Amino acid sequence: MFDVAAVGVAFANLFDPFTMILLVVGILLGLVIGILPGLGPPIAIALALPFTFYMEAVPSLILLLAIYNAAIYGGSISAIAVGIPGTGAAIATVMDGHAMYKQGRGGEALGLSLAGSIIGGLVSVVCLTFIAPVLAQVAIKFGPREFLAISVFGLVVVVRVAGANLFKGLLVGGLGIFLTTWGLDELNGAERYTFGTYHLYEGIPLVPFLVGIFAVSEVLIGAEKALKRIEFDKTSLTVKIPGMKTLSKLKGNLARSSLLGTIIGIIPGEGAAVGAFFAYSEEKRRSKEPEKFGTGIPEGIVAPETANNATVGGALVPTLTLGVPGSPAAAVLLGAFLIQGLAPGPTLFDERPDIMYSLFLGLFLINILLLFIGLFAIRFAAMLIKVPMTVIVPTVLLLSFTGIYAVSNSLFNVGVLLAAGVLGYVVRKLGYSIAPLSIGFVLGPILENSLRQSITIADGSTAEFFNTPIGLGIYAALALTILWGPISTWVRSRMAGKVEDP
Amino acid sequence: MLTQRLANIVFAILVIVACAYFAVVAQGFEAAGLLASSGLPSRFFPQLLLGFTALCAAVVLYVYASRGEAGDEGQTVFASSAEARRGLLALAAAVVGYVVWLNFGYVVMALISGPLLCLAMGVRNPVIYGVVLVLAVGVYLVFTQLLGTQL
Repeated sequence: MFDVAAVGVAFANLFDPFTMILLVVGILLGLVIGILPGLGPPIAIALALPFTFYMEAVPSLILLLAIYNAAIYGGSISAIAVGIPGTGAAIATVMDGHAMYKQGRGGEALGLSLAGSIIGGLVSVVCLTFIAPVLAQVAIKFGPREFLAISVFGLVVVVRVAGANLFKGLLVGGLGIFLTTWGLDELNGAERYTFGTYHLYEGIPLVPFLVGIFAVSEVLIGAEKALKRIEFDKTSLTVKIPGMKTLSKLKGNLARSSLLGTIIGIIPGEGAAVGAFFAYSEEKRRSKEPEKFGTGIPEGIVAPETANNATVGGALVPTLTLGVPGSPAAAVLLGAFLIQGLAPGPTLFDERPDIMYSLFLGLFLINILLLFIGLFAIRFAAMLIKVPMTVIVPTVLLLSFTGIYAVSNSLFNVGVLLAAGVLGYVVRKLGYSIAPLSIGFVLGPILENSLRQSITIADGSTAEFFNTPIGLGIYAALALTILWGPISTWVRSRMAGKVEDP
Repeated sequence: MLTQRLANIVFAILVIVACAYFAVVAQGFEAAGLLASSGLPSRFFPQLLLGFTALCAAVVLYVYASRGEAGDEGQTVFASSAEARRGLLALAAAVVGYVVWLNFGYVVMALISGPLLCLAMGVRNPVIYGVVLVLAVGVYLVFTQLLGTQL
């Protein structure tokens, strides 16, 4: 299953001094950006993308993966220290983490979140290493109907978890896909919505659109709350890594949260925040003392922190094997592959196994180094929480503008960045989620091509359209995902009714 | 203050109007030469999506217009008028920055967009303006000297 020569090349690639420096820089940058409230992993990756334009594939992807991993962990530092989650993935950590901090046990809380993050990250990388090559072998046999099923699955799932209103999610998801139809039709060369400008012949560019949606919209929302000052007590910021006794007590929690996070990461579109919430509520449900959750207990920190970092490896499974992003951050990561001239998907495992193994090994190393860097850097990095939004907002906007221009040498692309930012800002202000918009934009071309090819293959026959065992399996999984909630609620209400009504 | 209800109704109507406009534009898509007869027409997928998006917008419109609630009843788009002012002025500052870049070049944009954003956010502390300008110079130097970008 493993190509030994490719693994050897991967080791050589990874232990190149430049790559190692970037790995450490990536962890530090990720920690910094993760700590700053509002700037999550997608923004961290988006801001670093332009710099990777000048690098080889392995160092650039390692840099971004280090940022991705560390940013998810970094979010927990501000969640614990000031009760403001640095990232959406750390929202569940606030409840017990900040409560523990207020009790003067901040070091213990930070240590638990660091240990959980690393264990979750390592477990998910093991899963990624073994699942991804196998899935790639299966996916290489996928045709348009299977890719159509996977894309529909990813979109529906992300819409379902993105917000309270299903139709709002579907609306922005549809909008994201529609915007990918602009430009020359790949199948027959027709000009679609080019409005007479050659800039749009290749459609709306992916990287400026995603950076705009995530970074610029966040900057504008940050500008609204710019004057709020953050104060915190920095006396208990020295990390205390939990001992073997504590870890042994939490081993069930760690194992369950790692696997839950990995599985939720694998489901296309689901992000770290969903994984963290799911693991937190699962541990609370299983606990003999659920009322203690939220009062500052280790279980309430370990569960979300382990799960949110475990989603990283999980999210990379569909991203690398199918080209379908497992999370909004992975959607931005896809842009990095495209900048390097690589198309994530099953063929990449055949064509460039060395890159794939470099990424797997790199993720192992990132998680291990995160422990040491986290131990020493948290105290200093946490000071960044005090950097005011009035400094962050103009700097991030200038970085976004300059970075996008540096990648493309095109002011048109800067305009796309700004327009996408305004769109992201408007829809967020109106209570829409930007996750379906961004995932829809990434999946749009796959959806259109696979749908049109599937219809052509089916030749007017509905039975032929669904004559695909893998596709039917995916549609069945989708139906189960949608119906599971209502069915389990119905079953529980029936059971409760029976207990009350003997 | 602008309520979520009113804002969402206006947004849904705008989406429906835009969908209708783009669907009409799609009628004019023409495939090139021999490829014209191959497979489904180019307008098929965009029009399918526009129909779907318009349908979702109609449902959102109905929910807000008839029941007046979609999980955010009584909420406003901005928490306060000061927040609205800061957000909208920041948006205007970003657009002005882009227009300045188009007309006067990168350096002028980099020098004025930061202070403009600070003004939009109501910053009075001169140290913040200084820090923002120093960081702008840093961004310029990183891209031009380290990455070799021609700005």
